[in-house]
Amino acid sequence: MSVAVKEKETILNFLDGDFGTVSNIPTIAGVNEKGAGNISEFPFPKKKDEDWRFTDLRSISRNHFVPVADAGAEPVGDISKHYLPEAKNSRLVFVNGEFNTELSSTEDIPEEVIVGNMAAYGDNEILQKHLGKYTNYDQDQDVFAALNDANFKDGTFIYVPKETKVEAPIHILNIFTDAQKAFYATPRVLFVGEAYSKATIVEEHIALVENEYLNVTVNEFKLFEGAHVHHARIQRDSKKANHISRPLAHLDKYAEYHSYTICLGAKLFRNDPRVVQNDEEVDFTIDGLVLIDGEQIADTHSAIDHRHWHAKSHQLHKVVVNDNAHSIFNGKIFVREDSQKIDSFQENRNLLLSENGTVNTKPQLEIFSDDVLCSHGATIGHLNEDEVFYLHSRGLTKKKARELLVYAFTLESIETMEVESVHKLLLEEVVKYTSRDEEFVAVGKD
Amino acid sequence: MLEIKNLHASVEGEDEQILKGVNLTINKGEIHAIMGPNGSGKSTLAKVVSGHPEYEVTEGEILFEGEDVTELDADERAHLGMFLAFQYPIEVPGITNRTLLRESYNTIARENDREELDPLEFDDYLKERLEVIDMKDEFLERSINTGFSGGEKKKNEVFQMAVLNPKLAFMDETDSGLDIDALKIVSDGINKIAGPENAIVLITHYQRLLNYITPDYVHVMMNGKIVKSAGKELALELEDQGYEQLEKEFSVNGEAQ
Repeated sequence: MSVAVKEKETILNFLDGDFGTVSNIPTIAGVNEKGAGNISEFPFPKKKDEDWRFTDLRSISRNHFVPVADAGAEPVGDISKHYLPEAKNSRLVFVNGEFNTELSSTEDIPEEVIVGNMAAYGDNEILQKHLGKYTNYDQDQDVFAALNDANFKDGTFIYVPKETKVEAPIHILNIFTDAQKAFYATPRVLFVGEAYSKATIVEEHIALVENEYLNVTVNEFKLFEGAHVHHARIQRDSKKANHISRPLAHLDKYAEYHSYTICLGAKLFRNDPRVVQNDEEVDFTIDGLVLIDGEQIADTHSAIDHRHWHAKSHQLHKVVVNDNAHSIFNGKIFVREDSQKIDSFQENRNLLLSENGTVNTKPQLEIFSDDVLCSHGATIGHLNEDEVFYLHSRGLTKKKARELLVYAFTLESIETMEVESVHKLLLEEVVKYTSRDEEFVAVGKD
Repeated sequence: MLEIKNLHASVEGEDEQILKGVNLTINKGEIHAIMGPNGSGKSTLAKVVSGHPEYEVTEGEILFEGEDVTELDADERAHLGMFLAFQYPIEVPGITNRTLLRESYNTIARENDREELDPLEFDDYLKERLEVIDMKDEFLERSINTGFSGGEKKKNEVFQMAVLNPKLAFMDETDSGLDIDALKIVSDGINKIAGPENAIVLITHYQRLLNYITPDYVHVMMNGKIVKSAGKELALELEDQGYEQLEKEFSVNGEAQ
């Protein structure tokens, strides 16, 4: 009698690649090797896994992805319309995950600051010291972080020395072009901010056409004492693409980290932001704004880890869902034993514009200290029909009234954008989202 | 200007009639007051005239400048020049007074083939109209009614009316909840807006608003009908005698005759 042993399903079932090849830069090669081991070990997520209960991964598991080199990807062409005027000469461009020297420009970066691609800094001690030291996704057997670890040979490296302010926002522009085959790319960011340094980062993901790909990003942000970072993340991937994102920030004493993730694109977006409080007196934000429609899925599983006294953390996650789209929010907040005087705020507000949209939301607070102030809330609702009628009675069509109300719902999240052109861009995106040609699908009664 | 004929209405989907045959004619240049006890149908009348989707007209018609508007949407009625000042103005967080009014003003202008105002022209116009209710510029930047006091909300309704300049305004209990100062400002505002080319209908529970605004006609509503109409002296009569006398006169077993 023979027993059929079902082979374990890993992410390798859904993609081609030679993960025995490692970078010729020892620091990167070390991470590659660890990743290569993990991707063949870590099981691909299933519905029965608590962290993946609501997330439909079929857009990955029913597809097959090849390395960019084998995908027959189109060249990039002129992308200057995606440049930010404020970051004219402080921009790094990655095309399908690969660094593009010609399109990048870092002239405005002060000499003592590093803004460049990792592969060019193989000998750099700071890179060697910090790369791969902060992500903790392995502890959850995260196949996607493992894929990034195994595959990246280059990435963004930013180093801001002590008491230095980078005036211009640093624009990390990830561009995806059309290709003959679905491919995967693994953008990677290492940011190291020394004591009392200050920088603004705008991280964008933009598809030039609506094609299929798998974008797996890992960000490591290390902020030393009193370092201050404003981090805008704008995801405008193709609506056929999958974007799995693992941004982590590791904060020392007095550090301030404020991140704002805007989700507009992707068929499947899974974002697992994490913040680790590594010392006392930190202040951080991980806000999100999600505008989805059609068949889009946007899933945020955040984890905030308060490990020391005195922290202020803020998380406002706003979601608008139309058509058959599906939003998932799971917000973990940990307050460890003897981490007193924590002031933590979490709110998830969901606006459902259609009958068929789905929202799953779960605040998850695990508090092991007694002198903390933690508030959380989640709401799911349709547009308020009294508000619609009020505007309607003032001469606005119902459609216009609803557009204005959706616009107003999103504004709070957008107003936090420090970079003016990003602010303007997002306002335009919101208008585009709210004023689609079709009527809004049934919202309350007409 | 407005002709309401034998108007019957119920809450959408329900059988019970709230308006049971209202007849009312309003000409331009007139100010009317509709009074009556709670639950008499005053507010329902205002909502039905403005096109509120909660109500269904089951019989009768509403003619505005000769046109049957009974089936029109609320925005189409606004385009024609009809306006409802809400009894409970709605808070709309995130949209400023300025944004709503510009959208509203320009939509109505467009529908009437009048020229739209650009943001600068509109700002000048808004500032001039603010004087009607004695409000400061900052008022324009605030989210609609959000966190406003009761008095500010009512002032905002009058301000919207001053900006949109409707031909016919139904003002649903615009006086209720106002302290004496706010009542004076609100009534002053309404008096400034009232003119030979427009008409105003004040729906009120109390006579005190009519100390400041002199109506041409006073109507008493009871049980879904207008049971009595007369000149301004009727309001004083009601203040003296209350509604009991009229209730006895017009009601048998709770049914209006």
